[in-house]
Amino acid sequence: MKEPNSNPEDAKLGSLLRESRPSPSLPPRFYEGVWRRMERAEPGRTADSSGWLDALVVRVLRPKFATAVAVTLVLAGAVLGMQQGTQAARRGAQARYVAAVAPDAAR
Amino acid sequence: MRRSLIILSGVLAVAGAVFAGSFFLSQRICVTRMTNPADNLDWLRQEFHLSDAEMARVRKLHDGYLPKCGEMCARIDAKKQTVKDWLAGGTNVTADAEKKVFELGELRAQCQLQMLRHFVEVSQAMPPEQGRRYLAQMQRLTLGFHEQVEESMSDHAGHAHGKN
Repeated sequence: MKEPNSNPEDAKLGSLLRESRPSPSLPPRFYEGVWRRMERAEPGRTADSSGWLDALVVRVLRPKFATAVAVTLVLAGAVLGMQQGTQAARRGAQARYVAAVAPDAAR
Repeated sequence: MRRSLIILSGVLAVAGAVFAGSFFLSQRICVTRMTNPADNLDWLRQEFHLSDAEMARVRKLHDGYLPKCGEMCARIDAKKQTVKDWLAGGTNVTADAEKKVFELGELRAQCQLQMLRHFVEVSQAMPPEQGRRYLAQMQRLTLGFHEQVEESMSDHAGHAHGKN
């Protein structure tokens, strides 16, 4: 373990050295500027979003997940298609009946 | 990152195609299975849930009405041709042409009355609640045509009848 420096000559030397290298005064709002530049660069965030996207792709390409999504899409499409088809068929049948009993000339 | 984006775009495109394919296929199957183009009365069976006996009564009324309807249409067409001939080449509406236009309107009114009587008969061949619904729908579908024309004309710029 290093003992604390108790030599008065060393203390004197230290103060002389500090005086010989005066630290320049920082420009106004220096620290604020540093933080702003760090935020602008955001190297961490780029890596995070890329990682997030990669993780999503890995998850999407998992066979279980892909199958579940495909089945859901097929079912949703079929249900909506059936609803639309039923309405279209009904409208077509109605138009045929109206055209048969009430031709344009009569209306 | 670029590779992930390309893969994700491809996945989204495939998902869209799967959904669209399923939608259009089931829609087409549904329309094909539910449509019977040979039977004009198909809508009545579907919409008003008629039994076979009720359908038979309605069909009889329908078959009896069609020749009368066809005859009336032929008379209207002939009258329309006469009106066109009277108006052709003229620069003003003569008294004779006016008479023909009135006759055409009268024929159309007769045709509409015959049609409405047929709708009433058909509605009476159905269960009461369905009959009321049928009559209301047919009046809306056939007489509503004139309302649409009249509304479109009164909305038209410079055709605000009764307004200064």
